[in-house]
Amino acid sequence: MHGSFLNHGRFRYLWVALILCGASIIAYAWHNPIPRPNGGTWLGYTLGTVGVLIILWLTWYGIRKRRYSSRSGTLKGWLSAHVYLGTSLIVIALLHTGFQIGFNIHTLALVLMFMVIFSGFFGVWAYLRYPEAITQNRQNATREAMLLEITELNQQSLQLADQAGPRVHGKVSASIERTQIGGSIFRQLFPIDASSDAFLDVRKSLEDFNRRDNQLDTQNLPTMFVMVDALARQIGSKEQDALRKLVDVLSRKKALTASVSRDIQLKAMMDVWLYIHVPITFALLASLIAHVVAVFFYW
Amino acid sequence: MRWLIRKVTRRRKGAVSIEDDTHFGDVLTIGRGADQAVFLSDLKVALNHATLTRLPSGKFQLESLSPGGVRINGMIEQRETVSIGTKIEVAQTQITLIQPPRGVDAAVELSVIEGQSAHEHVLTRAQAVSLASTKLSKRRPAWIAFIATLLFALAIPIVSHYLPGVESMTRKLHILGLSAWTSGAMAAPHQFFAEDCRSCHAKAFVSTRNEDCVACHTTTAAHADPVKFQMPILQDQACADCHKDHNGAQALIRAEQRLCTDCHVDLPTTSQGRSRLAPVTDFGDGHPQFQVTLAAWTPDGQFAPQRVPVDRPNLSEKSGLKFPHDKHLVADLNSPKGRKQLSCGSCHELEPGGAKMKAVDFETMCQECHQLNFDTSAPTRQVPHANIPEIIYMLDGFYAKRALEGGWMDTSAPAVVRSRRRPGVDPALSAAQRTEALSWARMRSSQVAQSLFEGRACITCHTVSRTVDETTGDPGWAIAPVRVAGVWYPKSQFTHRKHETMACADCHEAKTSKSSDDVLMPPIQNCRDCHAGEASKTEVATACTSCHGFHLDGQPLMSALAGGATLKSSLESFLPGAKPAQAEPSR
Repeated sequence: MHGSFLNHGRFRYLWVALILCGASIIAYAWHNPIPRPNGGTWLGYTLGTVGVLIILWLTWYGIRKRRYSSRSGTLKGWLSAHVYLGTSLIVIALLHTGFQIGFNIHTLALVLMFMVIFSGFFGVWAYLRYPEAITQNRQNATREAMLLEITELNQQSLQLADQAGPRVHGKVSASIERTQIGGSIFRQLFPIDASSDAFLDVRKSLEDFNRRDNQLDTQNLPTMFVMVDALARQIGSKEQDALRKLVDVLSRKKALTASVSRDIQLKAMMDVWLYIHVPITFALLASLIAHVVAVFFYW
Repeated sequence: MRWLIRKVTRRRKGAVSIEDDTHFGDVLTIGRGADQAVFLSDLKVALNHATLTRLPSGKFQLESLSPGGVRINGMIEQRETVSIGTKIEVAQTQITLIQPPRGVDAAVELSVIEGQSAHEHVLTRAQAVSLASTKLSKRRPAWIAFIATLLFALAIPIVSHYLPGVESMTRKLHILGLSAWTSGAMAAPHQFFAEDCRSCHAKAFVSTRNEDCVACHTTTAAHADPVKFQMPILQDQACADCHKDHNGAQALIRAEQRLCTDCHVDLPTTSQGRSRLAPVTDFGDGHPQFQVTLAAWTPDGQFAPQRVPVDRPNLSEKSGLKFPHDKHLVADLNSPKGRKQLSCGSCHELEPGGAKMKAVDFETMCQECHQLNFDTSAPTRQVPHANIPEIIYMLDGFYAKRALEGGWMDTSAPAVVRSRRRPGVDPALSAAQRTEALSWARMRSSQVAQSLFEGRACITCHTVSRTVDETTGDPGWAIAPVRVAGVWYPKSQFTHRKHETMACADCHEAKTSKSSDDVLMPPIQNCRDCHAGEASKTEVATACTSCHGFHLDGQPLMSALAGGATLKSSLESFLPGAKPAQAEPSR
């Protein structure tokens, strides 16, 4: 966690948030309004004002992070403050309500705020966990490089499959055709191992090929390599060589495809929460405007 | 059968070259083999990849010979019936069935699928590789959420406020209109009109005004007379300062004692000398001794009740009655109907409301023993109670009748009174006889009256004095007025019914009271045996409002004071020289 946005500036904003929450809690405990704590007491108005200012400032982060030339502190510092002050809103806003919850626009604002905050918590978790996972998964390669290698492996496997006969070729070309990387939102987040299917396809075709031509029972052979050896004993040396290489190429491709799918998955996990966080933030802004206007409209 | 195979090659700058070839045969073979009609060199293509056969219907049968299949209009298929216009994709080549020109039975157009770099093609047909390239978006939902929320949470309620028609429409359509703004449950008594926000919130951006409250609460009295007590804390107070609605069904009437003690902790100072009420901070340990209200009159006859601390030594009530409680509460009291045991309840009954006691009634409570009969010759006949002229009239009449009838068995009476006369047989009395008889009757009536008033009846309980009638000069009697305090503690609200678990003697020491001068009201110490201030955890927590109200009977009505958000403006109209208050027309 060295140098993460959480410990930025020696937890400066954690302390700011803690002091803010602590002060709010102390004030709330000390304050004893009639008839009961709510948003309409002087403390209620104070906490509400603080809360609105924090929310507006947190929303400004979306603009600040696009201003690459801004000199108002580092973006990491801003993110650190964004996370900690955003979290402190749970305490500040709850105390502002005096725990009066209802079916109305005021509670709507609270609920939307919680949705934004908790989606943000997922974001924090994703930002702490996934960058490292992405780096580990790529193993010093880029996604582009992996995709290029897959393309090459496809070409190689087609060539090898061609040497192994039309049936194998058909299977391999079908597997290339059906390889799925990425896709729908759901498929990106929960990828299926398409190359595994392709791999099984090839093995099955090899079994068929073998059974028809050589009557060798390969059902119980434990591994691909044993199977290939067994096959190789019974077919020509050119085909034997091609099949052996084909299995190597296919297993490498399988690993690469899995890596790329995982890469897409991790990136999608890092992004997906923002599609809730951002739109709900705007709903929250609208409900806040409505809340403030309504409160003073029917003062 | 004659096939036209047209190869279309796109070159730079949009130039297109077309190369036509003809194939004869029933089947159009597609593959990488040298013998194929449509020869594709791509390694992904099988040697014999697919065949295309024309069907009698004019359509074509496409059959994939490779397990990889072919894409038809984007979907991978093994066998499919296709028609003119169908796009068939084999590896990087698109084969489109086109309308055959004249002289040809069928035609296909071959073109290379472009726009995909090598590695993109791995992703097979432009699969999205990031969420940004899916249909997912942030901007559009953000705008939709923002505008929808503003519409339903702000625009519709505001319009509903100004246009009641819109509000009733939202109600009909079950759309959240103004009700979406309700900040909390209404107080129970206000719930029946809670749907109409405007009944309390008449003006936008103006806090609930007193005049909106007193529109219904017409008889609610103020706390103090604003003319006597010109204090900002009274004048600037709005109803809503204490009565905050939208805080639940029971939250409207406040009992917090600090609402009172804020001022009453030192009223002489806070009222700038206008009030001399003793300081109060808490019932348990900061409340003055109770004061009883005793009836009193000024020398010129004005009623001026006195407020006296109940623990003052030699406190006595001059009620005009003589009533020793102790004598009445002894065991086995001798009564005309035998031995009796009286209890407090024999004379003191609760009013139906349960707060106070009914007034003691002579006829039902005393007369059973204290009978007002006056002559042994008529032992059941009694004079009326508390009506002196009637008593005299009754006695006069009784004895006059007896004297004129005759037959009175009393040796001291004249003969005319004693002699028995038979009606219709004996002659009527002469004028002299009548005068003598009536003279005896008057004398007898006067003797009996004196005996009743001064001897055995009235004087038992009342102070009796002799009077002389100013016009006739006749002697008479006067009974001192009875002035029993109806309510001893009029400044507090005490309910006997709530204290029914107690014995009467727990508060009222009647058993040992020898005189009706004794004030049998309990002092504050008595109450403190059970009650303490609102913060008490060991005794009955008792806030100021348990006994005292804020809105006090006899004070000006709030409705007369309410003018704006505060009492100040209305107060000004009360001050000397002010213009008469202009009541705003109520809605």
